[in-house]
Amino acid sequence: MTDDRLCRHCLLTIGPRAMRRTVNGENCAFCCYGCCIAFQVKSGRSEEWEAAWLLIRLGVGGFLSMNIMLFSLLLYAGAFTGVDARLLPWVHLLLWIFATPALVILGGPFLRETWLDGVQGRLRSSALIVVGVGAAYIYSAFAVIERGTHVYFDTATMVLMLFTVGRYLEAAGRARAARDLEPLLAAESECATVVNGGVETRRPVREVDARMLVRVRPGERIPVDGVVTEGESHTDEAVITGESRQVAKSVGSPVIAGSINLDGPLLIQSSGAGTATRWAQICRSVRDALVRRSPTQRIADRVVGASVPVVLALGGLTMLYWAQWLPLERALLFGLAVLVVACPCAVGLAAPLATSLGIGRLARCGCLVRDPGVLEALARTRLLAFDKTGTLTSGRAHVVGIESDGAGTDEVLARAAGLERYSEHGLARAVAVAVAARGLEPVPTRNVRTVPGRGIRGSADGQAVAAGNGALMSELGWSLAPALDEHARSLEASGYSVIYVGWGERVRAVLSLDDSLLPEARSAIDALRSRGLHLILLTGDLPAAAQRIAAAVGIETEDIRACLAPEAKRAALDRQRQRYGVVAMVGDGLNDGPVLADADVGIAVGSATDLARETAALVLPAGGLWMLPWVVDVARAVRMTILTNLMWAFGYNCIAVTLAMLGWLQPVLAAAVMAGSSIIVVLNSLRLERLPDPVPSAAPDQSAAVECAPTMHTSSLPIIAGQAIP
Amino acid sequence: MAYYLMLFAAGFAGSFHCVGMCGGFACALGHDPHGHGATVLRHLLYNAGRLTTYCFLGGLAGTLGQVICTPQGMTVSLVGGSLDSAQRILAIVAGLLMIGMALQFFGLLQGFHRLASGFGSSTLAISLRSLLTARGRAAPLAFGVFNGFLPCPLVYAFVAQAASAAGALPGFLTMASFGLGTFPAMLMMGGVGHALAPAWRQRGVWFAGSCILLLGLITLGRGILPIAAHIANGWPGGHPA
Repeated sequence: MTDDRLCRHCLLTIGPRAMRRTVNGENCAFCCYGCCIAFQVKSGRSEEWEAAWLLIRLGVGGFLSMNIMLFSLLLYAGAFTGVDARLLPWVHLLLWIFATPALVILGGPFLRETWLDGVQGRLRSSALIVVGVGAAYIYSAFAVIERGTHVYFDTATMVLMLFTVGRYLEAAGRARAARDLEPLLAAESECATVVNGGVETRRPVREVDARMLVRVRPGERIPVDGVVTEGESHTDEAVITGESRQVAKSVGSPVIAGSINLDGPLLIQSSGAGTATRWAQICRSVRDALVRRSPTQRIADRVVGASVPVVLALGGLTMLYWAQWLPLERALLFGLAVLVVACPCAVGLAAPLATSLGIGRLARCGCLVRDPGVLEALARTRLLAFDKTGTLTSGRAHVVGIESDGAGTDEVLARAAGLERYSEHGLARAVAVAVAARGLEPVPTRNVRTVPGRGIRGSADGQAVAAGNGALMSELGWSLAPALDEHARSLEASGYSVIYVGWGERVRAVLSLDDSLLPEARSAIDALRSRGLHLILLTGDLPAAAQRIAAAVGIETEDIRACLAPEAKRAALDRQRQRYGVVAMVGDGLNDGPVLADADVGIAVGSATDLARETAALVLPAGGLWMLPWVVDVARAVRMTILTNLMWAFGYNCIAVTLAMLGWLQPVLAAAVMAGSSIIVVLNSLRLERLPDPVPSAAPDQSAAVECAPTMHTSSLPIIAGQAIP
Repeated sequence: MAYYLMLFAAGFAGSFHCVGMCGGFACALGHDPHGHGATVLRHLLYNAGRLTTYCFLGGLAGTLGQVICTPQGMTVSLVGGSLDSAQRILAIVAGLLMIGMALQFFGLLQGFHRLASGFGSSTLAISLRSLLTARGRAAPLAFGVFNGFLPCPLVYAFVAQAASAAGALPGFLTMASFGLGTFPAMLMMGGVGHALAPAWRQRGVWFAGSCILLLGLITLGRGILPIAAHIANGWPGGHPA
């Protein structure tokens, strides 16, 4: 079936005119355009009922109104003059017969909307159409009865037709925007193939529990978090990690719900409930965000609400004014044109479409938006405040320097590692990593004992070995050279973590450890600055530590605020707000919760804690700092789209209403322009789909990282960059 | 009258191209579970929708042609007048368009094909998809109406022809003849479906291409050859009904 040489639809061989399309996520080849469309029509998913229902109305209405238009064209062209003039009343009657069902079919929804609004005491744009079209229809009906010379059924139906087309295209545009979001919203409705004793059953994801076996075929989305127990494949985890690349999976590999299984069947053992995955969280969050309205949208809605009575009044005035000079029918048409052209549909459409497209675009790369207003706020932001630990740094220590008292660096590390491999402490892991990076063998150590709060001790080669803090060394009573002691104190004062390593009754060396800078931090900061953002660092750490990180990523000294308690961070951000207006805070969230919530845009990065997720309006995926410049780009594009949409919609309305009041605009033309304006708004918004994907930054910036190690060290190790993804 | 009969014949020939393309739709509409009568009704509705769209396009194109040919707003002299230069230019443009369309039926001018069928296709495809699966008696009619708007070189060629006819009524009649010409094959398609061998479809496409090529050459000739003026005059400008 998937043979590339045969047309997917008609199974003919594909000639030179092959067409390739992706249908339902599969690449299909077709012999011709017709087959391509027919296949899509037949096999594509068809759950967009709103669109389908509108389409049927539109089709039947189109049938009727095209007939009306055809006869009207012939009327205008003078086909029923002369000998055929006696036919004229009958043609008018025929038009009436066509127009009545067309009016019911096409006008019904507008009338219903107006009625429902009216019951609630509101006036909305549909009222304009109902009044205008109703007037044209009733006038024409009287004209038929009284055998008048002119009927305007064509105007009435064409106006309705064009408005309905506008609605349909709007629905199609929305459906298209929704398709982007579809995989993200699928977590709740997704089914999983559960294998139980050799029997496969399809079950909703919410019924999947821990330890259940789930089969995932190639091309399917992995429905649960878990571990591969059978099979080999590649997966694309872009939805979760934001990075679209293939990750090899084999037996024992962990897999994430929401990632796509690319090329081989997998059997997965679920590691938790189907509803507890990050994917399910994303799904809920996106759904929540989509139903909210942004401030711009609220303003636009208010303007739309206020404009309808004004337009009705203007239409009435126009008609009354022109009725003094022109026959009633002409004045009526002018009034109708005003009502039709001033319909503020495009204004109402300007913000939500762009926002939901933006949300979908971000969500596809794993960035979650909680509130649609956030994108606009981020676009207006001129200052980004960064937290240090866990945001610019990995939050995990690594060895940056070794100051020794005669002993060789390798020996110090090998002995320390011999001890530390028995420890689970974060600093111990840093030593193990440093040793592994240098390719050293840890010295075999026996009788290892951890001293809580102090360090670890044992014996190797018949000598006592210890690694830990100063207190451990003084407890042991081991001697410490004054130079080494002084050095260690100054390191500690500068915010380094320090490990004393000793053997044979003497402290031989001092290891200094520092939080490792994220490899992508520097390029992300540079990219943000090139976007005209002012960047500051707010941290609870010591000034010296903050200074080191700031220098490594390129933040100016005067933009560092160190030693801040969470409350003080908030105050600092408030001060910046007075100067910069809209401010954003980027943090990982342990003690950032309050300040993330207080910022105009709270951005949580990476393995942010749940508190941060709750308070941050924008959540980047784990290790997603590199995506921040792209997120800013998307936010700016969304805001730009909203602004251009609104400017277009308002500007167009003002000009068109003026023209219509002067009587320079035919009602049908007015309706066409009106529908066109909505479509332009949709098309302008759909441009957001074409934004480029985020590009992962290049290899870790080694030179910048080494600079952060103090030069006074006798030897400095290459920085072992912390892994971005745990 | 002869002119419209010829258009009807061209439409009939061209419909072999339709079998290759729109035939898929007719098949997809398929059989109605309520019996043979309902199936026939379904396909009639579908084709009626298509015909209406074609006629509408024809009327519109004809009006447009008329507007172009009579810039001062005076009515075109329908009887006996010689072709003015605007109508000649229109005929040349229409003829060239038709020849271009015809050539790509033979697999030439690929870029032209992409231009003709590329824009708007995906949106329309998505729209139509939901219609075929939609319930309701009116769905085939709606489907036919939209089908008529699908980018199709054959339809474009005849719309160009209708525009060169320069008048709402002749334009309408041009497209009506063409549309009626496509009726038999499309109705048959609903029933016979895959019975037509692929090789025959290919021959049908070539046949259709030849017909359009001929029509295009005649139209072009109407614009270029001074002698052709009086011959051509008898067609769109004469007494159509």
